[in-house]
Amino acid sequence: MNFASFILAQCLGALSQAAILFFIACGLTLIFGIMRIVNFAHGVIFMLGAYVGYTAALVSGSFFAALIAAPLVVGALGMAFERVFLRPLYGRRDGGAYLLVTFGLAVVLSELIRIIWGAQPKSLATPEALLGIVMILDQPFPVYRLFLIGLGLAAGIAVWQFLERTRAGLLIRAVSQNSEMVHALGTDVDLVRTAVFGFGCAMAALGGVLAAPLVTAFLGMGANVVIDAFVIVIIGGMGSFLGSIIGSVLVGFVQVFGAYYFQDLALALMYLLMLIVLVVRPGGLLGKEE
Amino acid sequence: MSQERNTRRRILKGAVAASALTAVPFISARAQSKAIRIGIPTAITGGYALLGSQAQRTCRLVQKMVNAKGGVIGRPVEFLYQDTAGDPAAAVRKSQELVERDGCRILTGVIVSSEAAAMLPKLEEWNALFISHGNGDGRLTAELYVPRFFRANTSAPMGARALALYLRDTPQMKFMAIASDAAWGRSSNKAFEEQIKKVGKNLVDQVFAPVANKDYSPYITKIMQSGAEGCYVALQGDEARAFYSQAQQYKLPQRVQFYTEIVAQADIKVLGKDAIGLMGSSRYPITYDIPENKTFLEAFRKEHPNELPDWTDGEMYQALMILFAALEKAGSDEPMKIVAAMEDLEVTSVKGPVKMRKCDHQGENQGFVVKVGHNQRFSEPVGEIVKIYPREMTTPDCRSASYSS
Repeated sequence: MNFASFILAQCLGALSQAAILFFIACGLTLIFGIMRIVNFAHGVIFMLGAYVGYTAALVSGSFFAALIAAPLVVGALGMAFERVFLRPLYGRRDGGAYLLVTFGLAVVLSELIRIIWGAQPKSLATPEALLGIVMILDQPFPVYRLFLIGLGLAAGIAVWQFLERTRAGLLIRAVSQNSEMVHALGTDVDLVRTAVFGFGCAMAALGGVLAAPLVTAFLGMGANVVIDAFVIVIIGGMGSFLGSIIGSVLVGFVQVFGAYYFQDLALALMYLLMLIVLVVRPGGLLGKEE
Repeated sequence: MSQERNTRRRILKGAVAASALTAVPFISARAQSKAIRIGIPTAITGGYALLGSQAQRTCRLVQKMVNAKGGVIGRPVEFLYQDTAGDPAAAVRKSQELVERDGCRILTGVIVSSEAAAMLPKLEEWNALFISHGNGDGRLTAELYVPRFFRANTSAPMGARALALYLRDTPQMKFMAIASDAAWGRSSNKAFEEQIKKVGKNLVDQVFAPVANKDYSPYITKIMQSGAEGCYVALQGDEARAFYSQAQQYKLPQRVQFYTEIVAQADIKVLGKDAIGLMGSSRYPITYDIPENKTFLEAFRKEHPNELPDWTDGEMYQALMILFAALEKAGSDEPMKIVAAMEDLEVTSVKGPVKMRKCDHQGENQGFVVKVGHNQRFSEPVGEIVKIYPREMTTPDCRSASYSS
């Protein structure tokens, strides 16, 4: 194994990790950008996606069906939750209420998952079509991880273009900047919020299904990944979609190269990166300082 | 007046004495039938919930089995559960509640070694006894030794020792190790490093993955780079499953033979065919063909027809059998009397003969090396025993995690 192939393999590994992180972080940042809500339940929603994906794959016999079913189901549940529990709180000025409600959702949801699926972890096998390896220079690399990179890239570009080039995207950006003005112009702001919350949940669920062949679906799988997601959102800038992409890639690289070269500091490096970004740009790389 | 008072006092004294006398047999009878309460501060929620649920299900099974036979020392056994979520601070808090509020002077079922380590200094203050069913950190019966703690289970150094003894006779010379950066993982890896060098093999590199690590690609690359023929894996639960799943995607098992310190049925079940061929040390070999294990397996499968007991179940069962034998020997549930009775106690359990040696309270267990494969008796792949090492060879020096021979 020569140095070039080794570095390439590590870079691809980092990008595949960044892809998973992106799916959870982009939902988190969009929800914050539109609703100014720090969704504490996002990690559990990621976990719910993995479990729903497991059941969908079991019923349909297809991993790809799970990739569609889980975001739809979890996105719909997210919209229902926003409509019933979050909407009544929008008039209140204390952010603590959102924090408590989403934290409560996290606790209730994780217990429900335990009751429905049990404590035994669930295996979501890598689909046959993505099971092989490809030799990159002289380095074997899993096809599944290439699939993750491709899907992450495609999703990132699609959501970015949607936000930048469509009328719906324009409305979302407008609501994030001045929701009262958008409301005064006759747009149903509540509907935009519901849709964005549901979309954020669906993206996290998609991340959960994609992560399951790497780590299996298990109780607590969202606990650590949500911390990474918060770090990414802070690095990229709260509410910045492009920031979440850049943050995911940076954190992915720091995690992979840190684990290889600085074993004992692997965990600390990610926080060190966040600290440096906050010192240089307190609002995050692409965020606004408030 | 004073005569009247005297009379009244005498009547009162007499009444108190009479009531005390009549109450004595009543209290005594009540104490006799009062259940022996065993506290289970375990992980009911969180990342360790699976291991906690296994400990609980075996406690419930044992409660049913033992109480059906009249209990222990003529008293029924009752288990009380508290959720620690695998957190050391919560383990201390919940144990204290079990002791002080619920009157449990016997504790077991603790999942994480760091939880156990946090509880040890409190045992004397609580006047409690703690018998470990699964805490692997070698230090618990070495530098952290306290008289009220016993370890019935195979420790991490003991698992590593059995594997190293096995690897001594294999043609592979170069090994790599990956361990969880937690107390148990460090302890296990240290023991393996020590042992593998002792048997004349080469440990080319070792890596420690952060607790609850998700992406193992950098470590897999490192293993491939190392040129090792075998890899020692001291990862457990979610970490182990993530590592094996990702290693499988890299086709790593085709290049390197994995040896793990704990072969877990839960991992085998989830990994399915990917687990076939995995070798390792087993804390509870389900296929061990002795009457004690057959009795346990029968009872377990009657209660849970679609499941197989995992190492946690086997170790929990063994710890409780040892505890009950000590209770019978002591004839009391007073913690210090149980401590005295448990020292040097010998029991034949699901894992064969076990001795709770007096010098550090470590249970001398046999060492089992297994290879995962299909067995007609079981519906899913299981660990087949390839070698059994006598307990004298697998148990470390007294109050130590190392071996002088």
